Formats: sequence, structure tokens, C-alpha cells
Amino acid sequence: MNAAPLAVAGNGERRALRFLAELSQALAESLDLRATLEMAVTRIADFMQAEAASLFLLDHAGLIECRICVGPVDITGLRLGVGQGVVGRCVAENATQIVRDARDDSRVNVRVDAETGFVTRSILCAPLSNARGPIGALEVINRRDGSLFDEDDAEILRLVAAPAALAIGNAQLAHGLVEQQRIKRELDLARRMQKSMLPRRRRGDFPIRGVNLPAHEISGDFYDFFDLPDGRLAFVIGDVSGKGLDAAFLMVRVASMLRWVGARAPAPGAWLGEVNAELCRSVQDGRFVCAAVGQYDRASGQVRMASAGFPPALLHAGSEFEEIPADGPPLGILAEADYGEREIALGQRALYLFSDGATDVRTGATDRLGEAGMRGLIARHAGLAPEPRLRALLGDLKRLRLVDDTTLLLVQESCGAQAHTLMDLEFPAQAVQMRSMRAALRHALDAQGVAPELRDQLVLAVDEACTNVIRHAYGGECSRRIALHVARERDMLAFELRDRAPAVDPACLKARDLSECRPGGLGLPFIAATMDAWKLEPAADGQGNVLRMHKRIEGGEPE
Amino acid sequence: MSEAENICVSEDLGGYVLVRVCGEVDLSWSQQVRDAILAALGRCDGVGVELAQVTYIDSSGIAALVEGFQTARGQGRRFGLIAASRQVLAVLQLARLDKVFPLFADLDAARDA
Repeated sequence: MNAAPLAVAGNGERRALRFLAELSQALAESLDLRATLEMAVTRIADFMQAEAASLFLLDHAGLIECRICVGPVDITGLRLGVGQGVVGRCVAENATQIVRDARDDSRVNVRVDAETGFVTRSILCAPLSNARGPIGALEVINRRDGSLFDEDDAEILRLVAAPAALAIGNAQLAHGLVEQQRIKRELDLARRMQKSMLPRRRRGDFPIRGVNLPAHEISGDFYDFFDLPDGRLAFVIGDVSGKGLDAAFLMVRVASMLRWVGARAPAPGAWLGEVNAELCRSVQDGRFVCAAVGQYDRASGQVRMASAGFPPALLHAGSEFEEIPADGPPLGILAEADYGEREIALGQRALYLFSDGATDVRTGATDRLGEAGMRGLIARHAGLAPEPRLRALLGDLKRLRLVDDTTLLLVQESCGAQAHTLMDLEFPAQAVQMRSMRAALRHALDAQGVAPELRDQLVLAVDEACTNVIRHAYGGECSRRIALHVARERDMLAFELRDRAPAVDPACLKARDLSECRPGGLGLPFIAATMDAWKLEPAADGQGNVLRMHKRIEGGEPE
Repeated sequence: MSEAENICVSEDLGGYVLVRVCGEVDLSWSQQVRDAILAALGRCDGVGVELAQVTYIDSSGIAALVEGFQTARGQGRRFGLIAASRQVLAVLQLARLDKVFPLFADLDAARDA
């Protein structure tokens, strides 16, 4: 049969081909796989003139289970090991099996017959397989006319098995995708719920600010701050050991406990002690939580805080760093742990608390940023006001490789240093506008006492940023606008470039390696080499992009 | 900062073309500089680009020079930058191209090379 050309195919073969075509069509169009397979198995039984037919699928446990069965005896749910019986052997060998006379064949499993009274005379079994191997088997039993199955029947069953396997494979794939999307949606929901637990940023000169950057969908880190009845401000930062959903759930619990206990304004040591005792009672799976808590009195400038195994906090002013170590072990380990506390005269200094995700950031293949690196970053952005400084720190950490959830909390009074505008310019997105923009910028930078070499480099970086907007964001010269704002706050220059172009994906901007010599793509490397920090973001109003670049200058004094 | 006019002229010196560029080379006309360099390379074995009066050059201007350099090398022709100004040298350094281009103090040095 397999070599018979269609033109001379006999009656039986023509019938087989028509059946195969119809069956393939039905399986391909199937939306409800189960119903379609039931129909298919019934039609296969009829076509093969078989008394019974069944479809087996391999499950996750490596067993072969009868999923669909037509005939006098229902064996749906019957499970066999690979290699066991005719079906098991068919799957094990990924080859069609013919049992001409079941009474005289060692492959035949006689148990079912013994239990049901059914008499198995002749069996055909074809594997269902895809590119990766067998996924199950299709079995027909006993010809209705009492004759035995032959090689032609085996060939037909083998052909029929192919579209069935394809349909099952597609359905399993679709099911997998749906499942993946469901999990993603739920993780997304969990992430949003977690995020909603973090306190809202307070506007104005509120002295406590936090940021949280989960390494994955969900975070084991948290921070919190809230007002106490006596006017003081309470703050909390924590890091739950481990990653993933269970860490996230524990984080939610611990965060609520810390808030609940902290609302009564206990001394920080007692605050940690109470939460620790409760955690030790209720968490026994080896998880623990590093946390620091404190209260800040704005009137006196005093901070009282305590730390349970949290990484050392840093007090920073000028070139001075002071390290504040932990006062006791992490929460959830020792029920009788005692937590000391300390009093800090904050004054105008900045108090940084950061989870170990910040210091664990990778600066090379294996090198960690470490505490020294963190100090370096803090010193580098010290000229910025607290809010942009926290953003700049986060930007730096993001640009390095984040391996863990990262959370920063900053307690500091705004010291009143005001950024003052050096230049505000708006012009159409045309290359001919660049020359006057450069002249104005040179003039503004000269007035700030910026050395000529650095001035020229800054002008180049801003020019490149503008031409990138013209060429890439706007897609060519046009009459739409570019706005350039340059400001200075102490020794930090801030350049802000706004456009009204469609949002640019910041992820697709990457400064190329300068060691290879080729004509294009030099703009971004110029910007990266010149500025201390730069970041492209969609504009807050959703229209256009904002490129922010920062450069610390030394020696120069504002006019 | 002198307000030098943007100029790009080619001078045929018999067997050598001098492309003299002045002003601020930016996106608005770097294409002209590129075309002048490639045209010079099309008709002569040696091309020098004089940059003494260039007070500003952006990445599109640098790209024009790189393209000229690569074209010349591909065709086995001589290509050099002559009397590059302080501003041009600073940008070449930033692009790490200062060791890539043959740099000459003056036209004679470039022609003799």
C-alpha cells in the first residue's frame, strides 16, 4: 500500500485516503480537543471495523493513561508503565505493534480480559509521536467480522495517528501558553499589590524618601514611613531572606507587623523585639528578615533607630561617612534576642539605609559594588537635592547588574539649596538650529566658570543629544520642538532635553564600544563619556521623551 | 569663539587634493564635507583634509572623516588630517580615533608621507 501511486490506488486505498483527509481536517479545525478526539476515536473504530478503540497519552509521571475509549469495555483511566503490555511496548519502541492472535502473544496484558470478560483476539497499536518522541498511542481491538488485523490495517492506523498526534501537540502547546500567561498575570497582580503597600511619596520638603527596585516580578524588600501621634516620623526598611513568592508573602506579613507595632511609637529596640518574638513564634521554615526601624524628630533633628541584622546604615555629610552597625540579629531567628538602639543627631546630614541588593550589584562578571562602591556613588551625587539624588543612585544601580531586590531609604532635610536655571531654550528640530544653541550653551557655561575643554565636551554631548532627537526620535528634520533646560545646583549641572516625539524605548539605547573603528553611532558614547549620569524617560504627561544628563563640575563658581 | 564661516573647498595640487574645511562641522552640512572627501578620493591617490579652522565638529563630521579614511584604505590611497585644531583633536580623542587617523602638522608633511 505504501508504494501505491494515487492514480492506480484501489477502492480500499481511496477510501482510506478520503477518511484520512476528513479526519485531518476535523482535527486541525478542532477547538475542543477532547470532544474532537472522542469523535475521531469513534470514527477510527468504525473505519477500521474494530470492536474497540482507545487513545493513550503519556503523563508527567511517565505513565501511559487511557484518556479516550470506545467499545464494550471502558478502560478510561487505566494506567500502564512504558514497556508494559502492547500499548506500553508501542510507546517504548515508538513503533506500531500488530498482535494477530492475542491468545498466543506474550505482549498481551490479560488482566483486563480476566476482569471484564471481554475476549481480545487481535490488536493493532500505533504510536502517537511528535518531533521529541512518543506522546501516547492509538489502539484498536478485534475486527468486528472476526478476521485478524493485517499489515495494511497497521499502515492505515499509523497514518491516522499522525494528524491526531499533531492536534494533541498543538492543544498541549496552547494550554502551556495559556498557563504561562495566567501565571504572568497573577505575578503582575502580586507585584502591583506589593507596590501599593509601599508608602506614597510625600511632596514638598518631606525628609524621608524611599525607592524599591525588585530584581524580578516580586520583591522580598520593603520600606515604610508614617506619622506618629506625637509629630515624629517613623521609618522602616526590611529585606526578607530568599526570593520568590514565599519571600514576598512573608514580606507582606512582616511589613504589616512592623507598621502595627510601630504605630504605638515604642522605643526602636522594643519595636524590633516585639516583632521578632512574634515572627519566631509563627515562622519556622528557616526564613528570617533583616530590618531597621527608627523615629525622626524634625524639631530636634534627632533620629532614634535600631537595626536587626540590616546592612550598616551610612551617615553622610561633606567627605565624611559614618557607619551605623546592626544592633542585633535578624528577625525570626532568636526569640530572646535583645535589640539595642542608638540616638543620632542628624542635623543636615543624610542617613542612607540600603538593602544588600544595592551592595550586591555586579560591577563586573563577579565583582560586587560593595559598601565602598556605594559610598562612591553617594559622594558622586552628593551635589543633587535628595529626590534627584535618590533617582540618580537608582539609575546607577540599574545600569550595573542588579542580582537582588534593591531598596534605598534616605532620611534628610532638604537644605534649601535651590537649583537655578542657566538657560531655557526652545527650537525646532532642525540641524541649522544647532549652531545658535551651541553658542548660547557655551556662553552659559563660560559664565559658570566651566573650563574650556569641559565646556566644549558638554556642548558636544548636548548637541549630539539634540541631533539624536532630530534623526531618531522625530525621524528627521521637522518643525516640531526641542526644549533645552540647563540648571545648576551647587556643583552639579543638570541638562534636560524634551521632545514631543513618540516614546523611545530607553532599553534600545546603548552606547557602542569605541574600540572598533566605524563611522556611525558615536553620539551616545560621547554623551556617556562626558556626563556623570544620563537617563532617557518618557515624559510624565505621556507626550514625548525627557533626556536628563548630569555633570558635576569642580572649581567653578556661579556668578 | 570666532564666528568662522562654514566652508569646504577642494584644491587640486597635482596628484594630491587638499580639502580645506572651516567653521563648525555639524549635522546641518557634514554631508557636504563627506561628499567633498569622497569625490577627492575618487579622482586622486592622495587626499588631505585641513582642519585648522574647524572650531567645532560633531559625530556626523567625525563619521565623514572615518568614511574617508576607510574608503582610502580600501582603495590603497593616502588619506590624512592636516593641522587639526584643538577642538577637532579633543573630539578625536573622545572617540578614541586620535591614534587611527594619520595626523600631519602641515600640507608638506602630509604630501611627503
